[in-house]
Amino acid sequence: MSRAEPALAWNFETDTTLIRVLAQNAEVFPDRVAMREKDKGIWNQTTWQQLLEIVLCCAAGLEELDFKAGDVMLVLGDNRPRLYAGMLAAGALGGYAMPAFPDATLDEIRHFVHEAGARFALAEDQEQVDKILDLREQGATIEHIIYDDPRGLAAYANPGLISWDTLQAKGAELVIRNPNLRNELIARAQPEGPAVFVHSSGSTGKPKGVVLSHRNLLAGVRNAYRGGAFQFGESILAYLPMAWVGDFAVTMGAGIALHFTINIPERQETVLQNLREIAPTFYLAAPRSWDNLLTTIQVRMEDSSWLKRLVYKFFMALAISAEKRKLEGGQPTLKQWLLSPIGEWLVYGPIKDQFGLTRLRGAFTGGEAMGEDTFVFYRALGIKLRQLYGQTETSAYNAIQDLNEVRLHTVGRPLPGVDIRISDAGEILVRSGSVFSGYFKQDEATRESLEDGWLHTGDAGYLEPDGHLVVLGRLSDIVHTAKGERYIPNYIENRLKFSPYIKDAAVLGSGRDTLSAIICIDKEAVGLWAELRGISYISYADLSQKPQVIALIAAAVKHVNSALPHGLQLRKFVCLHKEFDADDGEITRTRKIRRNVVEERYKPIIDAIYGHQNTVLMKAKVSYESGEVGVIERTLSVQEA
Amino acid sequence: MLFRQAGIFHTDYSADRALFPIPADRWMIGILLLLALAAPIYMNTLYLSSYLLPWLVWTAGALGLNLILGWAGQFHLGYAAVMGIGAYAAVHATRAGIPWEIAIVLAGITAAVIGSVFAFAALRVKGLYLALSTLALQFVMDWTISHVPAISGGTQATLQAPDIRLLGWAVTSDAGLYYVALVWCVLVTSFMLNLRRTALGRALVAVREKDYAAAVIGVNSFYFKLVAFATSSFIGGVSGAILIGTFYHAVTPEQFSVDVSIQALAMVIVGGLGSIIGSYFGAAFILLMPGVMNSFISWAATKFGFSLGIETLAHLPQAFYGALIIGFLLIEPLGLGKIYNNIRDYLLVWPFGYTKK
Repeated sequence: MSRAEPALAWNFETDTTLIRVLAQNAEVFPDRVAMREKDKGIWNQTTWQQLLEIVLCCAAGLEELDFKAGDVMLVLGDNRPRLYAGMLAAGALGGYAMPAFPDATLDEIRHFVHEAGARFALAEDQEQVDKILDLREQGATIEHIIYDDPRGLAAYANPGLISWDTLQAKGAELVIRNPNLRNELIARAQPEGPAVFVHSSGSTGKPKGVVLSHRNLLAGVRNAYRGGAFQFGESILAYLPMAWVGDFAVTMGAGIALHFTINIPERQETVLQNLREIAPTFYLAAPRSWDNLLTTIQVRMEDSSWLKRLVYKFFMALAISAEKRKLEGGQPTLKQWLLSPIGEWLVYGPIKDQFGLTRLRGAFTGGEAMGEDTFVFYRALGIKLRQLYGQTETSAYNAIQDLNEVRLHTVGRPLPGVDIRISDAGEILVRSGSVFSGYFKQDEATRESLEDGWLHTGDAGYLEPDGHLVVLGRLSDIVHTAKGERYIPNYIENRLKFSPYIKDAAVLGSGRDTLSAIICIDKEAVGLWAELRGISYISYADLSQKPQVIALIAAAVKHVNSALPHGLQLRKFVCLHKEFDADDGEITRTRKIRRNVVEERYKPIIDAIYGHQNTVLMKAKVSYESGEVGVIERTLSVQEA
Repeated sequence: MLFRQAGIFHTDYSADRALFPIPADRWMIGILLLLALAAPIYMNTLYLSSYLLPWLVWTAGALGLNLILGWAGQFHLGYAAVMGIGAYAAVHATRAGIPWEIAIVLAGITAAVIGSVFAFAALRVKGLYLALSTLALQFVMDWTISHVPAISGGTQATLQAPDIRLLGWAVTSDAGLYYVALVWCVLVTSFMLNLRRTALGRALVAVREKDYAAAVIGVNSFYFKLVAFATSSFIGGVSGAILIGTFYHAVTPEQFSVDVSIQALAMVIVGGLGSIIGSYFGAAFILLMPGVMNSFISWAATKFGFSLGIETLAHLPQAFYGALIIGFLLIEPLGLGKIYNNIRDYLLVWPFGYTKK
């Protein structure tokens, strides 16, 4: 199966560093493509040899700017080859590369920068440079700002601003002048040294800084390889936010160690087209992205001609029922077996082709739990979607489902090299070479979560007798109704989100008699639905309160209720006048819901639901980009499900 | 559903501008080429030399006319005359002992020269007036050919064309003649396919859309119209010469009369202006449909037992054939090529309704 020659490539040694493995790649296959970046219509390629040169020149240039071991470099921008190279260079010098979400607000970044005392920043373009300059005005310690795209920056005279090209030229000069520098730079970083500095997602509080060493990262990659997550030489699309550990662990960790071809999309908006062009062999996405893709498919089918829709519905229903039988351990019926090749040719193949999913060998969802219906949908399409379970603290890889052993409720077996046990409180504990050594400057938090090398994940779960791990949800998430029914809001929310019309949902009911939900409609899907039926609306808020839309959502809620035990059925729901927004703190940047924020902000709604009112006047404070603060009033209707 | 597009990416601009980036298209063309090459093996000689061969030559001719009509947007009602010039030039040249390979090039050049000399005068007018002046070319040529015995060999005369000799080898077998036609048709097709990605092709399209708008952005519209006339006349001239060499084997003025001009025009319009695959469909439709209609009606008459007079039997196919042309153009005014493209687009976005963004 493996295309590459493992004997020549990385031999799963963890006593090394990313830059050393990169140098090894450059030596063994100098001319093989390491990175492709789409720019002005074509994919520009960078070989392993060229990538090593770029990283070394960058490292030499950074050192000239007095970047020392232990320094922190903030990395701000979308996925760009140069940003990746800059992160590798910082790691090679023993410094911390600290990626942040490019759409993060200033407050969030300021928190990171202050805590870490970052002296360097690597920015993608003018927009990000402006942010960093603002931070500096507010007293941040950033001295040097390196920028990738010079557009719009020619007139900036701020001190410490230097373009990537200048830095490269400077570095190249140093590398040529001093022939020993190359080898010295490659050898300098130590396996225990920092490879990357990311932040945990922080769904339960402020994000905490997590430093992963080269050893952690490579151990994680080794474990995942042995667990069958990927092979040598996969082709991937690097589109995940760089600040999410999943991106660094796949794109840089596995990407370098297993010499992947790393394809970088032109822009965030073109990811879907670029995905189709590249047709990667390995694809990791958050459940959110899989859900979004599913919604896109459903919306576009809704907008298709009746014949195509008929064919689609017939074959999808067939495949989904066949897949469900298979997951329950059964065999497909004769009809399903006979019709599946026709379905593949008519429906599944073309849909996979439209989104570039035809070559996938490894398709993964990770980061949080995925709705069962979404999961089954993709499996039915013939995409071998599997769950991956991991945390920022464990370099992303803990457990994966085996290709032939996928069960809906488990996340598969722990990876080879990963020990998992369950604490008395029902918490999942992990011990592995990939577990980090402590939170950045938070000794107390470190003591709480690391005990004798065992990481307290904060997730509740149990091991099945045959070794499969079941993750129930966040320990803090498991709640009880007043009648003592135990439930996990996330589970019900995911069921709700399978409806294309529901983008987000928050299930309420902790300590109450019954459950209810706050629902955010999906603007695109509901908008099209309304358009096709001639329902006029002026805004998201307006659309969300249309009686027809509420009836539509009520039908979706009823559908979910039909599969829930009586005590856990949703009794009431409210369509919210806005979507949950990471800028408002209702969800994290990786789109996990922040329950405490939602419950606090929408207290009037919750009170109305449980106070048996039919409507609720919601006053919302809105802060505009100009800094003004306004108040929006909306009457929302409380609906019986 | 047939056209899979995942995994097609380009690392340089020349690959980005490839003619057929989608593998399914390349497969289809490859298979069609193989079928065309193997045709003498599986097809009987009657079909090969009386249907397939003239279809290929006429397709090449229609492509030439499409260049001036579909690309440059200029009317041409005298295309058969241009083909005739080529045919007579080639026959006279070979009779004078010039090798056939050179003779057909001479035929093309003669047609191109006469065609563009005429265009000099004709291009001073536009639209319907241009149509009429090209019609004049047709009548002038008809008259000249039949009234100058040196060309026609005398009034009502038929001029025998010598056998084709390629590099000294006589080509007389049906298969050999078929391959000559095939090579010419493939050559013209690949020229036309590439035309759309050249500066010339883009200039022609600019002229077609609006000649003075093209002039505003620096395209010398008169020059490009002239080039279009010359190029299309060259293709027409060579096609005429090959038609005589491979199919008719003798040349008479009636073979290139005004009816034939109209027929060539019908091929392009039924096939689709500016469509290459349309020219294939158009030529097939105009050439083969009358025969198909004929046999269909005779078959239907015997099958369902209604008797038709000789008169009706002769005219009914013509009526049906005319109705078919009108029908197709009503369904899709841009011709058969556009119908093909509609089907292709339908399959390209399958199972969705349309492409997004």
